[in-house]
Amino acid sequence: MYKLFLTLRYLRKRRIAFFAIGAVTLCVAMVLIVLSVMGGWLEQVMQRSRGLLGDIIVDNHTNSGFPLYDEFITEIEKWPEVVKATPVLYSYGLFQIGKTYNGTVRIVGIRLEEVFEVNAFKASLFYEKFYPGTTRFGDQQQAVLGFDPDAPPVKSPEGDEFMMRELPEPYRSALSHADQVHREQTGQPLTDTDSVPDLVDDSRTHYGQPPIPGLFELAEMRNPPGYEGDTLPGVILGRDLIAERQRDGRYERFIPLGEVVRLTMVPITEVGNVDPTPIKRQFRYADDSRTGIYEIDSQHVYVDFGLMQQLLLMDEGKGVDGDVIPARCSQIQIKTIDGADTEALAQRMEDLYLSYLEDPKRELRPIDRDLIARVQAVTWQRQQAHIIGPVQKEKALMTILFGIISLVAVALVLCILYMIVLQKTRDIGIIKAIGGSSVGVAAVWVLYGLAVGVVGCALGSAFGVWFVSNINEIQDALIAINPAWRVWDMQVYSFDRIPSRVATSDLIGVNAIGVLAATVGSVAAAWRAGRMQPVEALRDE
Amino acid sequence: MSNATSDKPLLIATGVSKHYQMGPSRLDVLKACSLHVKRGEFVAIMGRSGSGKSTLLHILGALDTAQAGKVEFDGQDVFGAGSERRRVRFRRNQFGFVFQFYHLLPELTVLENVLITEMIRTPIAGWLARRGDARKRALAIIDRVGLSARIRHRPNELSGGERQRVALARALVHQPAILLADEPTGNLDRESGAGILDLLLGLHGDGQTIVMVTHDKAVADRADRTLNLVDGRLRDE
Ligand SMILES: Nc1ncnc2c1ncn2[C@@H]1O[C@H](COP(=O)(O)OP(=O)(O)O)[C@@H](O)[C@H]1O
Ligand SMILES: [Mg+2]
Repeated sequence: MYKLFLTLRYLRKRRIAFFAIGAVTLCVAMVLIVLSVMGGWLEQVMQRSRGLLGDIIVDNHTNSGFPLYDEFITEIEKWPEVVKATPVLYSYGLFQIGKTYNGTVRIVGIRLEEVFEVNAFKASLFYEKFYPGTTRFGDQQQAVLGFDPDAPPVKSPEGDEFMMRELPEPYRSALSHADQVHREQTGQPLTDTDSVPDLVDDSRTHYGQPPIPGLFELAEMRNPPGYEGDTLPGVILGRDLIAERQRDGRYERFIPLGEVVRLTMVPITEVGNVDPTPIKRQFRYADDSRTGIYEIDSQHVYVDFGLMQQLLLMDEGKGVDGDVIPARCSQIQIKTIDGADTEALAQRMEDLYLSYLEDPKRELRPIDRDLIARVQAVTWQRQQAHIIGPVQKEKALMTILFGIISLVAVALVLCILYMIVLQKTRDIGIIKAIGGSSVGVAAVWVLYGLAVGVVGCALGSAFGVWFVSNINEIQDALIAINPAWRVWDMQVYSFDRIPSRVATSDLIGVNAIGVLAATVGSVAAAWRAGRMQPVEALRDE
Repeated sequence: MSNATSDKPLLIATGVSKHYQMGPSRLDVLKACSLHVKRGEFVAIMGRSGSGKSTLLHILGALDTAQAGKVEFDGQDVFGAGSERRRVRFRRNQFGFVFQFYHLLPELTVLENVLITEMIRTPIAGWLARRGDARKRALAIIDRVGLSARIRHRPNELSGGERQRVALARALVHQPAILLADEPTGNLDRESGAGILDLLLGLHGDGQTIVMVTHDKAVADRADRTLNLVDGRLRDE
């Protein structure tokens, strides 16, 4: 009984023990914060990379693409593990918007409706969130706001009556529908906190209000809302192509929706040659996408798969000698059911594709055989390893680094306990003289270390969890004091918020190691105390 | 002189020798000391400072070991096989120690300093059941040494005499077979020393076996019997 009693008493009466507890507290909090932020970052990267493509990606890593994808998709969509599959085309091209901006982009051909089902592309769209169902690749004009002669006038707080400018359909209904759904789900109106206000025209947008997808007519032209301009196919732009990301993570868009975008593409033949006649086409800016991976958002331009296939001459055709040239795609993205064994599935898919080569009924041209032979199916983890890997390594590195720093805490516990033992030599002699055993006395110090560990870990966990949970608010407060203290620069890290969730497994792990380390730190002191001879200890002056 | 003394010796030491080796020189502190203490007896050991009195008492009380000789308590060999654990058991159950410099635990109150003896004797699982009983006994013994009013005080709030009373209470709360006192009055003024001596005599009157070390002739004279430690050997007065 005395062991526990003395441990607790010494803990309370020896102020120096507070230093040991403080050291453990700080180290536990530190490691917990590092693990949580890095882990949260890793998780976000994983989630985003997964959302980018699909669970399994079929690709042949050539610019020429590969044929027979429709057949393959029909086949695998019969498999119970496959939810949806969609073909994708990749090519390079030139991008021009307005008169000034242009650059090289990666053009991605997608079947929009299918991609929505396969990956998280839909969630990455900006206008689609406020105007669901309006983002499309079909032929379109630019929306223009106007005055609806049938709508009743609006009264201002001062009592003036005026007419509100309205959106043309279907934007108007889509917004009111989205707003209603949002209110039902959250009790809040649908707002836009992602954009910098007053971007193109001072009267256009106000912070916190939904974005306006189109142009304003001049106020004196009292036209009804509608559309104008040439009818062109839609294009979705990577957000960083048409908007500037601010340090606080918000975007300043400098192009109104519906603007004309010119794309110049170069077809690549089956054998990998560049066709010398480039193809120029105009599109309308139908939406912008932000995946959170800067390399993608600053380079990708998404157009309709079928259209791009035609433009690049990758659709089905007839050769000069009359034989059929099959349509090609660059990639197939596949969504599987949750919990599917994607590795095994990918292998089966690859086997299926390669089996087309063995099928004697098919009359494949040698060039097609060559393209099919290169087809590989990989899981999203493998496909995105180049994005995930570095973050994983960084997390491990940081954890090891801070773990090593935490050894300081162990050393401190060791020193402090050893010091207390030396100070308490006489007391140890007394305890032994009145019947305490060596093991018992040693146990007092191990318990002491354990208690330092438990108290330190509890405080450290509480502080760490509090810090991580409020990490964004803490940064906001720091920035308010001095803007240079922004640690998490959103221009650099593509996430708006610092990850702020502590994983339970991290919490348990760190605490277990913390308590263990403090206990181990007490062993030297306990050993010394246990071995002390009572007479020697009593003679100690 | 007490008449509670029984004839059967409780503690027998035979030929106990102890020396300290310091480099080439050897200091023979005890040279074949023998003594016996009967149940209920009050024995005083006298000797000059540095003559080895404390060393002898420590060996008798199983706190220290001798290089030669034998100590028997109630027929059991204190230094026999498995001696470390056995000595712990003896100290815990049979002996009570009082030291010249009190040796109280400074972080503990008077009551806790006395209770600690009971805590050491009781495993954690049994403490809840025995706590009330232990506390009652501790309070009774503190009352006996006259410190009932001071149980919440810490040692540094007490005078030397009061501290020694607490030490005495601590040594007695578990009702040891022998009380071993190492110059219990040596560090006290005459009056406080007399108080402690009176307490010891009172305990002896109740049948407590006591071995007391002192270098004060007047103190030793109050005991049943006095032994002199001279040149590492024990001699009867
Ligand atoms: N650990 C030790 N090492 C060397 N000499 C010691 C040690 N302990 C005690 N002594 C010596 O033994 C002798 C007896 O000591 P002690 O028993 O304390 O005497 P007393 O209690 O009679 O004053 C002293 O001379 C002392 O210096
Ligand atoms: Mg002495």
